Amino acid sequence: MEMITRGIEEKTYTLNLGPQHPSTHGVLRVLLEMDGEFITKADPDIGYGHRAHEHMAENRNYHQFLPNLGRLDYLHALAYNHGYCMAVEKLIGVAPPERAEFIRVITNELNRIASHLLWFGAYLLDLGAFTPFLYCFDDRENILDLLERVTGSRLTYCYYRFGGVPLDIDDDFIAGARAFVKRLRSRWSDYDNLVTKNVIFIHRTKDVGVVTKDQCLQYGLTGPMLRGSGIPYDIRKVEPYSAYPLFDFEIPVGQNGDIFDRYMVRLAEMEQSLRIIEQALDKLPNGPIMAEKVPKRVKPAEGEVYQAVEAARGEFGCYIVSQGDIKPYRIKLRVPCFANLSVFPELAVDTLVADLVAILGSIDLVIPEIDR
Amino acid sequence: MELLVHYLGSEVARMIVGLIGVIALVSVNALFLIWMERKVAAHMQLRPGPMEVGPHGAIQTVADALKLMGKELITPDEVDKPIFWLAPIVIFLPVLLSFLVIPFSETWIIKDMNVGLVLILSFSTLAVLAILMAGWSSNNKYAVFGAIRSVAQNVAYEIPLLITVMSIILMVGSFKLTDIVAAQSKYWYVLLQPLAFILYIICATAETNRAPFDLPEAESELVAGFHTEYTGMRFALFFLAEYTNMFIVSAIATVLFLGGWHGPFLPGVIWFLLKVYAVIFLLMWFRWTFPRVRFDQLITFAWKILIPLSFVNLLLTALALKLR
Amino acid sequence: MLQDKIKAALAPLNLEKVADGDYAKTGYHLEVAAQPEQMPQVAQTLLDTGCFLESLTAVDLGESFTMVYHFANFFELCRTVVHAALPKPKGMPSISKVYPGANWYEREVFDMFGIHFFGHPDLRRILLPDTVDYHPLLKSFAGDPWK
Repeated sequence: MEMITRGIEEKTYTLNLGPQHPSTHGVLRVLLEMDGEFITKADPDIGYGHRAHEHMAENRNYHQFLPNLGRLDYLHALAYNHGYCMAVEKLIGVAPPERAEFIRVITNELNRIASHLLWFGAYLLDLGAFTPFLYCFDDRENILDLLERVTGSRLTYCYYRFGGVPLDIDDDFIAGARAFVKRLRSRWSDYDNLVTKNVIFIHRTKDVGVVTKDQCLQYGLTGPMLRGSGIPYDIRKVEPYSAYPLFDFEIPVGQNGDIFDRYMVRLAEMEQSLRIIEQALDKLPNGPIMAEKVPKRVKPAEGEVYQAVEAARGEFGCYIVSQGDIKPYRIKLRVPCFANLSVFPELAVDTLVADLVAILGSIDLVIPEIDR
Repeated sequence: MELLVHYLGSEVARMIVGLIGVIALVSVNALFLIWMERKVAAHMQLRPGPMEVGPHGAIQTVADALKLMGKELITPDEVDKPIFWLAPIVIFLPVLLSFLVIPFSETWIIKDMNVGLVLILSFSTLAVLAILMAGWSSNNKYAVFGAIRSVAQNVAYEIPLLITVMSIILMVGSFKLTDIVAAQSKYWYVLLQPLAFILYIICATAETNRAPFDLPEAESELVAGFHTEYTGMRFALFFLAEYTNMFIVSAIATVLFLGGWHGPFLPGVIWFLLKVYAVIFLLMWFRWTFPRVRFDQLITFAWKILIPLSFVNLLLTALALKLR
Repeated sequence: MLQDKIKAALAPLNLEKVADGDYAKTGYHLEVAAQPEQMPQVAQTLLDTGCFLESLTAVDLGESFTMVYHFANFFELCRTVVHAALPKPKGMPSISKVYPGANWYEREVFDMFGIHFFGHPDLRRILLPDTVDYHPLLKSFAGDPWK
């Protein structure tokens, strides 16, 4: 895109991409200083959804805090459940049995696919293509039905417990999951033809919103934002946890760090998640789903722990400080979108409003997790 | 009818009857098109669309229109009142008047002017003025944005539209719409000028502010663009004008490229309407398939690609005519 | 080994503690304790070894704060945690010149705990409204802010 030269006297005006806006995926306000259609400064204003989760953690015991995790990033709630459960399991020295680990991985990956599908549909809606949204939601309904059978909820899951999972998956679930894997695989060509090969889409996303490797290092970006720029950092591979070392999957990586690369990374990640689910279903062991000696009242020894997991948006880190009480002393929830959004002011300078919306959507934000 | 002709003269009687017919057509057309749009969109999105009100949602639009008529006409305090009130009228009237010269069949035409095509093209430019009026008077930054984008877009896409139309006029030698249709009695011009057809369809999509060129009303970026501040019946007028405009540009496409009312067996009017709605279906298909083009890409596309292509088309047409 | 590289790089700074962590229990490979004034240098050293800032937070211990910085690396697994004990009325030097990503984290700590960061380009509240006058994650914060 050529830069249209602007006059020497730059008079800017302020525009408010207000908290109520169809494209900000939650309650986000971005204060824009604009020169015509170009943006000279962008300042995100967060906190509209602050519900004091970290404060709540200090006033509840460890079990009572479990439902809060699902309300952070409600699109990939199971990863947050997973991170917190593993952190507490480390503190109390309990390890879940193998079948529970496999079930955790299967449900986690299904949730990841659901999250990416929703991002895909919503992002194309931002760009003005109304139809892929419905195709994605059609596919996503299958996942939501599957997960509802075993967790009881459609969105804000609270499924994992310390030491395992409370409800086992049955044969119907396994058959349904296999059918879903087959069905989604057949859809990739549809999405390719409708979106990936679309000239207008390519022009809107290539070389737009480029994130450099330096920016990744300085801002601590994780997730597809990072992998789109060419750095293959995925906690499931670099710092393996749960049953992930047993499965064979790849980490898709982009090259230029533009929106198109992030889009391709997320699409490829869905395929890799399908591979993991297939392998997990094939190798699913029999056995108990809950560890044997899980204390009813979780009262860990003094100490602290940091557990990182790979959520759909990046690295979710759960930092727990315990002082030997039944309530945590401090829990810090390190959410990926917080760091991913902090690079946005740098990306937004000298872009057009249309590009701004495209870049904001490509970061894949869920504002409630930033606000906690 | 004879009384009217006796007292007013056949010209005026014809115009009155014609205008009444046009107003009826515009209303029914809008009702039908809105329903068609919703059904086409729905089926492309794997869902059934309106099904409740009437058989297959056929009178859904009537229900929506009644609702819109009942809504409060909110005029925000700081708007420029005269312009704010005039804008919906200015956008609607020219479109209505363009119906005067459209040949529905050999005899069904209200006034067969010999500059018919020029009339329609000049009236369609007035829509830009109305959009600017609406956006500016709303005293709302988003609305001004939408208006500015729309002006740049419409001006940019007028030029290849006019040049493309010129290459058809070269072949016919007259601006009279009935002449243009009569000249296609053997071959439709879409076969002789496929490039012109494609260019015309692209420009028509841009002129009517339809996706993928719908930046002036880009929902996800500007909330509702230039008509953000309009409510109730005023908003309905903008809506009505958009769908009627679609009819007009499709009618011109039919007249210029698809042979107007020519066709076997069925009466001319039926063929004309079938062809017009086929082109409208094409425009709707575009909307539900493509994402939106970015603004600078839109303008670049018009100035750097469409205008040279339309010139090339014009030159080739002139060359072919000279060599014949 | 990245762990040894980091230990070697931190050696000239004369920090209170640079020790191996118990990864299975805590998730840390390296545990470092530093004085608040040394934080920018520690951050610069870690940036030079290629680590990114994972998380920045504070823990209120009643009489003092503990600033907790987590660093990790994209290419080789090595999580470093840096604890800095901060006595109550004092402020903390900002590391946002070294890690621009720390800008928002430090604003959040200021918002929640009231800790002032020297050298921060734009220290204002990030999650709570600007007009609020309390810091909710302090242990001394109790009761209903609406009163």
